[in-house]
Amino acid sequence: MNDSMSIPHLIMNASLIVQLVMLLLLAASIASWIIIFQRSIALRRAEKAYRDFEDHFWSGVDLNELYRDLPAEQESRGAEHVFRSGFREFNRLMPKTHSTDAVLEGVQRGQRVALSREEDRLQLHLTFLATVASASPYIGLFGTVWGIMGSFQSLSMAQQATLSTVAPWIAEALVATAMGLFAAIPAVIFYNRLSAHAGRLLGKYENFAEEFHAILHRNLQGRSEREAS
Amino acid sequence: MAKRERRVGYGWPVLLAIGVHIVALMLTIIKWPESESDPTSSSVVQATLVRAETATDQPQQTEDSTPPASQPEEEDAPEPEESAPSESPEELASDSDAEVTDSALEEAKAEAQRLQEEAQRAAEQRAEAEAELKRQAEAEAERKRQAEAEAERKRQAEAEAERKRQAEAEAERKRQAEAEAERKRQAEAERKRQQELAERAAQANNSSLDSMISDEEQSIANARQASEAANGFKNLVRRYVEQSWNVPSSASSELRAIVRIQLLPTGELVSATITQSSGNSTFDHSVINAVEKAAPFREMRELDASVKGQFREFNLDFNPEDIR
Repeated sequence: MNDSMSIPHLIMNASLIVQLVMLLLLAASIASWIIIFQRSIALRRAEKAYRDFEDHFWSGVDLNELYRDLPAEQESRGAEHVFRSGFREFNRLMPKTHSTDAVLEGVQRGQRVALSREEDRLQLHLTFLATVASASPYIGLFGTVWGIMGSFQSLSMAQQATLSTVAPWIAEALVATAMGLFAAIPAVIFYNRLSAHAGRLLGKYENFAEEFHAILHRNLQGRSEREAS
Repeated sequence: MAKRERRVGYGWPVLLAIGVHIVALMLTIIKWPESESDPTSSSVVQATLVRAETATDQPQQTEDSTPPASQPEEEDAPEPEESAPSESPEELASDSDAEVTDSALEEAKAEAQRLQEEAQRAAEQRAEAEAELKRQAEAEAERKRQAEAEAERKRQAEAEAERKRQAEAEAERKRQAEAEAERKRQAEAERKRQQELAERAAQANNSSLDSMISDEEQSIANARQASEAANGFKNLVRRYVEQSWNVPSSASSELRAIVRIQLLPTGELVSATITQSSGNSTFDHSVINAVEKAAPFREMRELDASVKGQFREFNLDFNPEDIR
């Protein structure tokens, strides 16, 4: 009699729609937690990779050597990707044109493309977290409303409306809302946290792109003056 | 960059996410044994019935059992009275002796002799009679004392037997209560086990099984309480009516009205009619009002069919002192 109010029992006794809602919410919760863990690990690694690359870049290594050391286009990530696409554009344009502006513009374009790809990659699946965060309370609420509707329908059949006839129904209906909140709360918290992390990392990439651009600009400026003299 | 950062896979995140959910589920499951301390009674009715039983029957039982327990202590053993013996015969004998020595000489010798003998005899006789009397008195006293002691012993034995009988009855009652408790406990354990079995066996038709079990349990409880329910129901009705009775200020304790109440099996009131009027119309009116106000006696539905039959129609006796 007592354990009829336990949560597993309530879930088992719920009506089909409510059970489906609960299942959906459970799936959403599991998926959002998978994304939370996956993104946390990925972002932490990306940050570490960026720090390593930055150290390497500013250690005074020759840029041509650095470019050669880096792996192929498809596998590079983060700041390496930005550097690589910029430097490749630079190398390709240098023999063709003598206009500094044209070269720098080409480099900038290549870097912009790389940056937008990186942004895409960093924020992968974060929109799913946002969706779960905003939608699952409503889904849970739907399950609750449906369950309470069922409880009132069955109440109209009972001759005697005591609290004990209504209580199990309402409790089982409320489980749906609880599950919705259970899925939504971590999703909200980690969406904010992870998107802030990704944004910070992206800002670092942009800073790096600007610095790299400045280096190339300095180089080109020096060369054109030498040619002029 | 000598070492490449590989793409982050989904294997670990999936495991971790499932782990998080399992932990959450565990927390909800572990929590519920602690929170099951407050038993939810299946219906309000049962609770009131039990209360009626304990409120009415228990004190009566204790009242019944207490007075005999104090009885044997009251009687104290009466003192056996002793009759005191009268004056001693030696005094008289010495008196007569002095008389004899003071008397005359020769011709009075024989006389004296005779007298002396006579006196002696008389004294002896008197002494004898006296001694006899004393002995008789003593024997009487002794008999009395013995009778007294006998009676006392008898009384004590009786009291002892009474006490013993009471103790036995008490033990019997206790044993019965214990047996009852044991039976209850067993029934409880049985019920628990059945519930567990049912739960494990078929979770799909869980609800139907549960309701079956609870139905069965309900019927057992009903059977056990049938007798208590019978007078419990009457007590309940009486209490409800008492609560809703507005005793008119003009009512005195001599007024008395008997109301015939007819009920439906659902406990609805069919009619309440005065079968014996108090003679005071205000009083009669208040009585009818009280019954109507208290009316649907929902507990009727919980009674057994056999018990129900006797409550389809019954009398309530109203008196400002109390309602019988």
